[in-house]
Amino acid sequence: MTDAAVAIRGLTKVFPVPLHRHSIVAVRDLNLRVEPGEVYGLLGPNGSGKSTTLKIILGLVSASHGRTEIFGRDSRLVESREAVGFLPENPYFYKYLSGEETLRFFGRLCRLGGARLKNRTDELLELVGLTKARKRRLGTYSKGMLQRIGLAQALIHEPKLLVLDEPTAGVDPAGSRQIRDLIVDLKRRGITVLLSSHLLAQAQEICDRVGILAGGVLVREGRLEELIAIENQTELVVANASSGLVDEIESLINRSNAKLIERRRSTTTLEKLFLDATTERPES
Amino acid sequence: MSNETATSARHRVFSFTRLCAITANTLTELTRLKVFYVLLLFALLLIGSSIFMAQFTFQQEFQILKDVSLGAMSIFTSLLAIVATARLIPQDIEDRTVYTILAKPVPRFEYLFGKIAGVLLLLAISTLVMSAVFLAVLYLREQSVLHMALRQMSAAPREQVDDALRAIRSSALNIDIFPGIVIIYLKACLLATLTLFVSTFATTNIFTVVVMVFIYFIGHLQATAREYWLHEHSSGWVTRIFLAIVALFFPDLQAFNLVDDIVAGAAISLGLFLKTAGLGIFYTTIYTLLAAFVFYGKEL
Repeated sequence: MTDAAVAIRGLTKVFPVPLHRHSIVAVRDLNLRVEPGEVYGLLGPNGSGKSTTLKIILGLVSASHGRTEIFGRDSRLVESREAVGFLPENPYFYKYLSGEETLRFFGRLCRLGGARLKNRTDELLELVGLTKARKRRLGTYSKGMLQRIGLAQALIHEPKLLVLDEPTAGVDPAGSRQIRDLIVDLKRRGITVLLSSHLLAQAQEICDRVGILAGGVLVREGRLEELIAIENQTELVVANASSGLVDEIESLINRSNAKLIERRRSTTTLEKLFLDATTERPES
Repeated sequence: MSNETATSARHRVFSFTRLCAITANTLTELTRLKVFYVLLLFALLLIGSSIFMAQFTFQQEFQILKDVSLGAMSIFTSLLAIVATARLIPQDIEDRTVYTILAKPVPRFEYLFGKIAGVLLLLAISTLVMSAVFLAVLYLREQSVLHMALRQMSAAPREQVDDALRAIRSSALNIDIFPGIVIIYLKACLLATLTLFVSTFATTNIFTVVVMVFIYFIGHLQATAREYWLHEHSSGWVTRIFLAIVALFFPDLQAFNLVDDIVAGAAISLGLFLKTAGLGIFYTTIYTLLAAFVFYGKEL
């Protein structure tokens, strides 16, 4: 049996409150499995335990109970992180470094060097669309650019698992769309993605499976289409239909046992409208 | 080959490349701080200005020059050690850069050692720059006094001139200055690692700086207090243990003050130098290990 990209078993994290008798349970008895090659969304409101779970997976915070594994290795071990790339929520990085220097720094942390590091840096700057801004200091980067350079540093050592904490938080719709496109592209390349988000519409577009956390407890989990499908309803989207044809379909429905719930013109999303209206690409 | 085996084969518990990357980055980070240049400029101005100080006898002049310059070097390196180190860890935590670094295959001790190595390198560079300026000023003044003496004693007998020149040379540039500079550097290293240790459990850099200012003053006073308790009062084992604990957390900084002896013209024995240097290296090592121990278990 293949090792799961991430396996969490009976994970509980309790934060003691100094000078108080009570403590805060951030995550309670969490069991989770992320399969290799899938995009898994850990969803939930602020304070639901998403970031804590990710930090435990990355060994930044210790678990009170339970075990977490990355590709079969105990995630507390430093070597398990050879396979992981991480983008934290709202990353700052070192403002005095340029985009290129940032990637070279993180590359050296992964013991890359010479031509291999140079090629990898060029390749990633191209991938995230920051080739033209490679010499600019990060202090001058926009939020979206910072997220993209963050994504590039997470990928510098060609990890098999990418952990993203709120990857599109605070980014404008265009930047957000670019990041989502990148995630989809990474999935196509066989990289497993575990992301946390409270932006449900975005998660819906890219996740294969989701888990919903509330108060530190996993309240729902499964394949997205199964979770959101309404069993007894069907949608038909028809283009270029005359009103006569639509009336005919409606009368056909009325003659049967089925019930027409709503008849309306299709609309675009506000995001698509925004992206069409703002033709300018973000700085790159 | 299974994933696990492949990962194990690639990973190294300690990597010099990773350590150097963090050290170089920390050095870059610190040299971009305005406070570094302000302090360095202030110290260099102080050392440079010694050349224009009131001229009494040449012995007094050289004494003042050494006193001011070595004092400025000591204060500057101590201040820089505390201010630069205090912000390293809390700033990385606040900016979440520590997450991106430790989410890579970087052991915590390597991150911490890389950070402190960057500070120690900065202190070494600063000490070298200040020493170069100080020695240049001292050399220029020595040459100036020698020429003046030769001009004034042009009619004097040869032996008298030689004696005078020897006296000038011995009170200006002498070998005892160098161990003094090494000890100033080691004292700064000690303060930097102690600051690093405090910063591993502090939540803000202001807290770290305030604690370090207290430790700095207590460290300079504790020798006097220890002398008082051990010699003026009965020294039972409780007192001795208490004083040993105090000595661990409040190092005897007065022991590193060899500048007064150098300024006074007293030679520093090799034994005293080695003992003081050993003490500095011991404290530096202990505080680095303590910092690594606390940081290892820190919840980020």
